[in-house]
Amino acid sequence: MIARLRLPALWIATVLSAAAAGAPAQFYAAVAMTKAQKNSSTPTDSGLYRREADGRWTHFGPRILGIGSVAAQPGNPAVLLIASADGVVRSTDAGRTWRKATGWEVVDVRSIAFDPLNPAQVYAATQWGPIRSDDAGATWAPAHAGLAKLYSQTVVADRTQSGRVLIGTEDGIYLSTDAARTWTHVASSPAATILRLAQSGADASLWLAGTQHHGVWLSRDGGKTWAQVDPASASANLYAAALDPHDAKVMAVGGWNTGVRLSTDGGATWTDRSAGLPVKHVFVLAFDPNTPGRLWASTFEEGTFFSDDRGQTWQDGGLYGAYGFDYIFIPAP
Amino acid sequence: MVILLLTASVCLSTGSLSGSTAGAPADLTDAAINQRYQARRADLIGSAIGSLDPAKGSYLDVAAALQRGENIPAALARLTRLNEAPPTGNMFWVYPVAALMAAGGDRLDEANRARLAELWRTYWPSRGDTENHWVLYYAGLYIAAQCRPDTGPEAWFNGRSAAENMAEARGYLEHWMNVTTAHGQGEYDSPNYIGEYVAPLSLLAGWAADPAFRLRARMLLDYVLYDYAIEQMNGQYAGAHSRVYPRQVLQPGRVTSSTIGWLAFGLGDRQAGGQSLLMALSGYTPPPILERIARAAPRPYVERELKRTRWRMRNAGPDAITVGDRQTVPVYKYSYVDQDFVLGSSQGGLLQPIQQQTWNLRWRVDRPLDAANTFFAVQPYSSPFEGTMYFGGDWDTVTDLIARSKADYDSPDKLASGSPHEQVFQHGPALIGLYDIPPDTRFPHIITLFSRDVREVVEDASGWIFAQGGPVYIAYRPLAPGEWKPNDWTGHLAGGAGGFISAGFKEWGTGHRCYVSGARHNGYVVQVAPARDFASYAAFQAAVRALPLQVSTDPQAEVVFTTLDGSVLRARYGAVPSVNGVPVDYATWPLFDSPYGQAARGRRELELRFNTERYRLDFDANAITQSVAQP
Repeated sequence: MIARLRLPALWIATVLSAAAAGAPAQFYAAVAMTKAQKNSSTPTDSGLYRREADGRWTHFGPRILGIGSVAAQPGNPAVLLIASADGVVRSTDAGRTWRKATGWEVVDVRSIAFDPLNPAQVYAATQWGPIRSDDAGATWAPAHAGLAKLYSQTVVADRTQSGRVLIGTEDGIYLSTDAARTWTHVASSPAATILRLAQSGADASLWLAGTQHHGVWLSRDGGKTWAQVDPASASANLYAAALDPHDAKVMAVGGWNTGVRLSTDGGATWTDRSAGLPVKHVFVLAFDPNTPGRLWASTFEEGTFFSDDRGQTWQDGGLYGAYGFDYIFIPAP
Repeated sequence: MVILLLTASVCLSTGSLSGSTAGAPADLTDAAINQRYQARRADLIGSAIGSLDPAKGSYLDVAAALQRGENIPAALARLTRLNEAPPTGNMFWVYPVAALMAAGGDRLDEANRARLAELWRTYWPSRGDTENHWVLYYAGLYIAAQCRPDTGPEAWFNGRSAAENMAEARGYLEHWMNVTTAHGQGEYDSPNYIGEYVAPLSLLAGWAADPAFRLRARMLLDYVLYDYAIEQMNGQYAGAHSRVYPRQVLQPGRVTSSTIGWLAFGLGDRQAGGQSLLMALSGYTPPPILERIARAAPRPYVERELKRTRWRMRNAGPDAITVGDRQTVPVYKYSYVDQDFVLGSSQGGLLQPIQQQTWNLRWRVDRPLDAANTFFAVQPYSSPFEGTMYFGGDWDTVTDLIARSKADYDSPDKLASGSPHEQVFQHGPALIGLYDIPPDTRFPHIITLFSRDVREVVEDASGWIFAQGGPVYIAYRPLAPGEWKPNDWTGHLAGGAGGFISAGFKEWGTGHRCYVSGARHNGYVVQVAPARDFASYAAFQAAVRALPLQVSTDPQAEVVFTTLDGSVLRARYGAVPSVNGVPVDYATWPLFDSPYGQAARGRRELELRFNTERYRLDFDANAITQSVAQP
């Protein structure tokens, strides 16, 4: 699965089956073009880019600063929700028209997750606290109850239980079983800012968390308990975490100065797979549902790369100059 | 007073016309104040219109021409040119275009009208991420939507109808006004960014159709201008600032606040700017009591103000308070305002990212435009801890990305910075700064700036360093020794660090020197006095030498100092300071407190006072009341 992409698991299955049936999912990257940003507080371009069949990347959707991700409604991919600094921006016609769905109160939205078992239910992590929607993103409300600190930038809806959702905050991981109406702190999660959460598409009990200054954490029981793995990256900032939807034993994390670290034994051991990348600063990782075994990596301003041999070699995937925030695979509407 | 119309460019242009207080006392009757203000308005607007041609001029210049019905062909041609390329300015595009539509929309030709409609439909301007960005954006959006009231979602970039955009904008602006008047501004007292509040408030005060909202905006303009008027020296914004740029630190008269001071009150040298032009176009007229306070309030006085930090999204810290669902920390400002100088401070700490000036001394000069009449100290600090506290960026890139626009942020010789290792305490014209700098901080030193306008520097055997700034004597006592370095000793700015940051560095950045100390437990004592109080410079030095002073840096920086007025100040790093044995009471610090203005924390009321005159802004009642008591 596209673990760190926060794609709903049922939908992931849809993506995988679509890919198997010869209808590949469309690949999007949420980025800001910061490499050429000089004497300016704004990047030279930003937003969503879609990878075309010929390998080109074309801009998609509105040009809004601070787009962190995009999500499509399970079963109805014409409904798209963009997470942006300006709020949640919604399309119901596969991106032909867009409407800002949130008011002035909602800002700095970093990730969005549909509930795979209840496609009207949506959660969003914002840097000022999570929000929730009961109508597929048309309207939103704060979802702060139970949180000690509001900052959040990653949220994932559990594909096995409707209303069960995990969110990463400045204060570790919180769990809700009532569709984000209330949150409970997961005691064994690290006392750290959680940078990325991901659930395995191959084994729903497997979850990964990339953290700030506390490396990578793994849960084998659906997010109830967590333990740190990979001692070599124990104090690293890990912005990327991904689990292979085709092989539950394969997972990867990426971060600043850590490059790509890969495990093929379910998280027991990890290996540096950064050789061949131009820089060891990685912000996004995703396993490609269209091409089993392919791993995508977004480096800081030095481009997107992919590997078909579990990170032993890397090939240029474009988007030079981008600061990546997310990779998203969406079934074509 | 006769005001001559001048021809000058709009962007911080200067002319020979002056409203400086250096001359004869102005007539401060309502009629005279208003007459002078209207003349300055006409001057600015006339200059803007006169300078306009198809190749030159801003949206606001075009707005001026359309509003007055003058130079229309050039204005329309210029607008066509401005709109040729897709916009890039985000909120800085939104508000002047909204002003243009409101001020002169009925004089637009069909082609320009259609192009503007197309841009509102296709260009998605960002709200930005600062307080001023949001106020600019939403004030502009409100007025733009009001100008196209019947347009539906298809006509707007964000897929929301004019009515929806107006409602959203109004919601934010009301929220901002409520927070500001109850808890203080987050982007407080910025010589640069005051313009980014005056402009959107002028837009609303001038053109909001709802009379209640228009009045509320006018009241906020009064509020912001009072905030400036009470802490200025001949038009130069003084006291602690939330945000200043390197040039403005060293050339404090050549900044937006001075353009507004000139327009609003005739202070300082004539300068023009886009924000003051918009204020002039809006029809807003400051209440005369503001000019009376700005020009004639008897000095010295103490001004205390409560502000707040920018909202903290992470790393809020134990001192944070919650306003709504946002976290912030109170900022306690204190300024001693004398006829010859202003010494002003905040308590130190990370109060604003990037560009904080925790304290400074500003003295009177007759021609403030190019003076370097400033003295201050700073612990240059940068860190991802601060960056992620205030910005949404990632730990490992936030410093880099900040420095791409604020090139001095990560430089060891920068002159504007907050520091979590700094505590400042002021009483009257005396100030104590204390530091506890951990060894692993990025720039473990403090800098005290002796600008090129600081003269007669004497390093006294007593440990005091004496200096003169215009009509002011300065005594500076470092707790640990330092060394003299030129300003910009790394050559960062002189080497061309970035256009807006370092342009013209030779003009404004050279000739200054810094006293730099690398001691980790460190600090200083500053005692300022007007030269008029002493028979000579030597007499001042002798008086300061005789003052009781105990200093220590082990285990923490600590000072016990008896000031020139006999007050005993005691300060130890990490502890609440005291005056004559009484701890400073931060818990009851008011929003505004001086003989000329009073506002209690949380009350949303500001009362201005001048002699027997009272001017009361009641934001809960949305009402202004004025009275003059009979003698």
